[in-house]
Amino acid sequence: MTLLEVEGLTVSFGRSRRVAVKQASFTLDKGQRLGIIGESGSGKTVTALALMGLLPETAQVSGSIRLAGRELVGLGDAAHAGLRGDLLSMVFQEPMTALDPTMRVGRQVAEVLRLHAPNRAGGARRAVIEMLGRVGLNDAERIADSYPHQLSGGQRQRCLLAMALINSPDLVICDEPTTALDVTVQARVLKLLDEVLTAEGAACLFISHDLAVVSQVCSDVLVMLDGRIVEAAPVAKLFTSPEHPYTRGLVATARMDQIPPGQHLPTVEDFYPRAEAQ
Amino acid sequence: MTDPLYQVSDLTRVFGRGGRVRALDGVSLQVEAGQRLGIVGESGSGKSTLIRLMAALDRPTSGSIRFEGREITGLAERDLGFLRASVQPVFQDPRSSLNPRMTVGSIVTEPLRSRHLRRSLERVDPRRRLSEVLAAVDLPPEAARGYPHEFSGGQRQRIAIARALAPDPRVLIADEPVSALDVSVRAQVLNLLADLVTARGLTLIFVSHDLTVVRHLCDSVVVLRNGRIEEQGGTEEVFARPKADYTRALIAAVPGIRL
Repeated sequence: MTLLEVEGLTVSFGRSRRVAVKQASFTLDKGQRLGIIGESGSGKTVTALALMGLLPETAQVSGSIRLAGRELVGLGDAAHAGLRGDLLSMVFQEPMTALDPTMRVGRQVAEVLRLHAPNRAGGARRAVIEMLGRVGLNDAERIADSYPHQLSGGQRQRCLLAMALINSPDLVICDEPTTALDVTVQARVLKLLDEVLTAEGAACLFISHDLAVVSQVCSDVLVMLDGRIVEAAPVAKLFTSPEHPYTRGLVATARMDQIPPGQHLPTVEDFYPRAEAQ
Repeated sequence: MTDPLYQVSDLTRVFGRGGRVRALDGVSLQVEAGQRLGIVGESGSGKSTLIRLMAALDRPTSGSIRFEGREITGLAERDLGFLRASVQPVFQDPRSSLNPRMTVGSIVTEPLRSRHLRRSLERVDPRRRLSEVLAAVDLPPEAARGYPHEFSGGQRQRIAIARALAPDPRVLIADEPVSALDVSVRAQVLNLLADLVTARGLTLIFVSHDLTVVRHLCDSVVVLRNGRIEEQGGTEEVFARPKADYTRALIAAVPGIRL
């Protein structure tokens, strides 16, 4: 069943109408995991923010985004806020800036619950502790009473994940959720993400510049380049037979482990030369 | 036997009152001229503390660092010119390591204007050196007139490398130089670093938490954990037969392609 249907999404900014996303169309089924891959400036984060209704006022959005039958383009801010954290939620890249430094994390997770499910707010503390346990934080009581600076990067990212999942959303958008983490912590968070998404049955839009990371979580991938979707394919197919030259370059750079040490690494420009990239 | 380029002995760095944090705890290692040493470990393992001490950007609590046989710990800044000219750092994030209000040309030639450095440098023509190092990192000569914000992440890291090359150093110390870059740009910068190290006969000290990158670039590796050396040896040896459980865990954590 289709959960999300994006049709001809175009986003431009400012008076000069600089276009960040051009005519993007894709669909996402219930429980499906779709990766969006591309370099900085390719439009992947802007696409995510358009879904979340978090674009700045200078942005002009056209096209259509239908989530569970509801049109999100042109939806008022108040109506959109009612969906955020409930029907769809987001895990940001840098947990230190996404969390409020002056508030204990337990309260921050509870806030999401209070806003969207006031009738469950009575047992909020218990629900929060349980959710923190589900994202693999063993010492949930102590974590809930901690401030963000008292936690490690991995623990903070788990707290964000708990916030994103506590209202059982249909769609979780993850924007480079492990880029700021160490490899060892990244491996644990990715494994956890895989497990909780399966357990919760939530669909996921996973944004990253790293194909290897995307392949850990997603079944399908969109490749974005200069605001356009240039290729869409299942992960396995993308690796075995990429079509667009840019995608071929991406796949080659993701396979660094297969290049004998000391040899030249393939670059995207070997496959997709651009005037600007020197 | 000639002296090794770097001889680090029993190096300890303690932070905080009463020595609460032992960032480095009795680390000893050698770096030979022409070696490419990778330093790996998680955040908080002491990697950055170690290279900051080796670049004399910080002072150890105890222990000794000899560069070309000369002790550098406890030297006053004015006596460190020989080290500053020979050892140049490249930092992780070129957005914060390049001054946004300076042109690329003045950023790159800034090391040449340093009072301490000038004494140990041969007289060089800054303009000629500028165009030479910009060419070395594959940037056009016009780049000198631009400001850092006009360049992409990969180009900014090239500017940072050009600045490091300006005083014609013998050692590059790179602290996670590609971690802030997109995977697609990473390969270009790594190729550039490898080419420069070979062409100029540089010694490379390369800090990273990414073992794939270290394996590709370095001939030897030191694994740090909680300020101590967990394991060290030739890169292929360590990767093929890791002795420490911690090294095995680090290698296993590298995200592979899952189909």
